[in-house]
Amino acid sequence: MTGGMTLHWSPLSPFVRKVMCVIHERRLAGQVRCVRTKVSRYVPNAALLAINPLMRIPTLELGNGSVLFDSVVICEYLDTLGHGPGLYPQQADRRWQALRWQALGDGLCDTLIVWRHERERPEAQQQQDFLHASALKLSSTLQLLEHEVAQLDTVAYGIGHIAIGCALGYLAVRFADVSWHASHPQLAQWQQRFEARESSQLSAPAHA
Amino acid sequence: MTFVSTPHPASQAMTLHWSPRSPFVRKVMIVLHETGLLDRVTCVRNVVGMNQLNDQVMLDNPLNKIPTLVLADGRKLYDSRVICDFLDGLHNGTRLVPADRARYLQAMTWQALGDGFIDVLLLWRNWYNDRGLPHDCADDPFLNAFNAKCHAVLAALEAQAAELEAAPFGLGHIAIGCALGQLDFRWSFIAWRPGHPALAHWYQQFQSRPAVVATAIRDDNAPSAT
Repeated sequence: MTGGMTLHWSPLSPFVRKVMCVIHERRLAGQVRCVRTKVSRYVPNAALLAINPLMRIPTLELGNGSVLFDSVVICEYLDTLGHGPGLYPQQADRRWQALRWQALGDGLCDTLIVWRHERERPEAQQQQDFLHASALKLSSTLQLLEHEVAQLDTVAYGIGHIAIGCALGYLAVRFADVSWHASHPQLAQWQQRFEARESSQLSAPAHA
Repeated sequence: MTFVSTPHPASQAMTLHWSPRSPFVRKVMIVLHETGLLDRVTCVRNVVGMNQLNDQVMLDNPLNKIPTLVLADGRKLYDSRVICDFLDGLHNGTRLVPADRARYLQAMTWQALGDGFIDVLLLWRNWYNDRGLPHDCADDPFLNAFNAKCHAVLAALEAQAAELEAAPFGLGHIAIGCALGQLDFRWSFIAWRPGHPALAHWYQQFQSRPAVVATAIRDDNAPSAT
């Protein structure tokens, strides 16, 4: 019995959005209740801490009392519950490719999240070295992704695509001042196609 | 849930961007020792830091992260979870990734806990180093939040220590062990063992494994910005 799952959720987390994309792609929305859960760098959320000592979202409570985290684990688990084509390739080389793409998308989100916190600090407290390094990591990643769009389009839609799409979506929300579309036209078009998918639209970040 | 890669020439001669003081690299090194695959990998010393971009690493991983594995055919693999899973499919010995679905989920969640704990510790250290704070600075809300997570993780691990001992050794154990190793290495003044005796007992067993002994974190004093 896999119904009655509770997902600790927020509208803007790219990692939560990954999970929501999987939920919608695998037609599991009726089995998961989303609960808005506030996570702050500065204020511990005691209720969340009790079930996930890392105090992060997404966190998924299964109906049987088990708790799953992080998004990598949750997405793979939810994929096994769905019907129809899964989001994880069966063939070995395709699987590693998909998982590497997920690591790339998730790693980009990690970089952007820490970068965002740093640049929101008072200017006198900002670490310029760190801001500069973050910008370089972003540009290198975008350059790689531009190169790999052809590959992304060749293989079946999966967890790798979702992770990259959610990372680019987070970039659009939190770093709207960074213009990269003109210099990465293939990736820009790919992102539009990602956002046009039903699962992307249903999970799109909405300013709360 | 385990995947067997067909023997692939690209996996015969691999290169690993490596450091002796990275807990995530250590996960991969433990897997290489446990699975007997060490001779297939050449480790290349690279220093990376949050502010310290390494051109060689960035050619293979635009996020400047290690471990990054390069296969003989030029394909790159990251992050540490993907690398460990990949390596576990290359040998014929006892698997580190469980085949049973329930055990798999448990192992993967433990790995997420261990990796997440390492992330907290690394971010904590960067925060201290960047701001030149003493390690026992008690008034910063950011640090208090870190402290709360550290203690919550240790409490959760203490509660699960019996399960850890009972479960076959795998990727979950490796991640948790490497996290505790990082805690001891960079935060040696945090005396966690007396308050977490069951975890300390499990960790002692972990530390006695030859693969763990062989990969003990050591500072080779390579120049670092942090």
